[in-house]
Amino acid sequence: MKKVVFPGSIAGVILFVISYGGLYLGVRLFPYLFVEYNNPLFNSDGSRDMLFYSHAFLISMALSWFWERFKTLFHGSFITRGVEFGLVYSLVALLPVMWITFSALDITVVMVAGWFVYGLVQAVIAGLVFARINP
Amino acid sequence: MHLLSHLAVCLLIFLPVCKARLPVNTSIKWVVTEGCFLKVGGSTNINKFTCEIVGNYQSDTLILYKNNNTGPLKLSGKISLDVQAFNCHNPMMSADLRKTLKANEYPQLVIRFVSLERYPRFDQPEELRGTVAIELAGTTRLLDIDYKFNPGGTGILNLTGSRQVNFSDFGLVPPRKMGGMIKTNEALFVQFNLAIKVAR
Repeated sequence: MKKVVFPGSIAGVILFVISYGGLYLGVRLFPYLFVEYNNPLFNSDGSRDMLFYSHAFLISMALSWFWERFKTLFHGSFITRGVEFGLVYSLVALLPVMWITFSALDITVVMVAGWFVYGLVQAVIAGLVFARINP
Repeated sequence: MHLLSHLAVCLLIFLPVCKARLPVNTSIKWVVTEGCFLKVGGSTNINKFTCEIVGNYQSDTLILYKNNNTGPLKLSGKISLDVQAFNCHNPMMSADLRKTLKANEYPQLVIRFVSLERYPRFDQPEELRGTVAIELAGTTRLLDIDYKFNPGGTGILNLTGSRQVNFSDFGLVPPRKMGGMIKTNEALFVQFNLAIKVAR
């Protein structure tokens, strides 16, 4: 349990800063990529902000458990292990979810590709953290 | 002398009443014709938007009551617009605006004409002020409007009214997405254009 919660918490804090900091900068630097978010599909009354901002911790805890369970399958330096972990997660979980999301919702390719890259980067960063502090 | 004082008292009592009830001398009908639009301009922290309703309104006749009193002319009449007809030139933004304006609950945007500073001249463009009552999302607000009158050809008068309003004036909350990273600003610039024909 400790081997899941501690690395998960560390990764959560790091992902929180990088994810939302990156998102904030992305909105400011590339505003045209976010125009499509003015869309009734997205919650607009702020009632789910807590859920939105807790995502970094939720994914970190889930990935931490996944790492603890399967870390012996990843070999090499901590960078190789972290990147491979991120790629495995993206291929196994993220790609199918993005696929069904795009097929079912009225969203653009750019939007869904952005979410895929966002999730991939999060998983790689989490993988690097886990490979370092919970090898 | 006694009779005169009685008469004076009667006049003092009834004159203000009589003055207040001066019969309306004339009423002039303004028929709202084709070629009208309503435009709403706003901004978010990432873009600006302009949404319009063009030609999709339930027309009415506006009546101006000219009387001997100085001061603003009384106006009556309204135009009703279908909120679902808002077009922001981007289907997602259009849908988002309709949702924000609670189009399903309150499908009509109504502009009731209340008063006009004075009767406009028909031979040259001019700017006047007036009052309208705007009903949106179940809330009605009495607002002063800046009007521009432009005489068009063939007896048509183009009337453009404009005014800045806030979402909060109508109890609406500007949308915010992704934990507030994308925010719509409070202020909206509303402009409507009516092509009117005078019918006496």
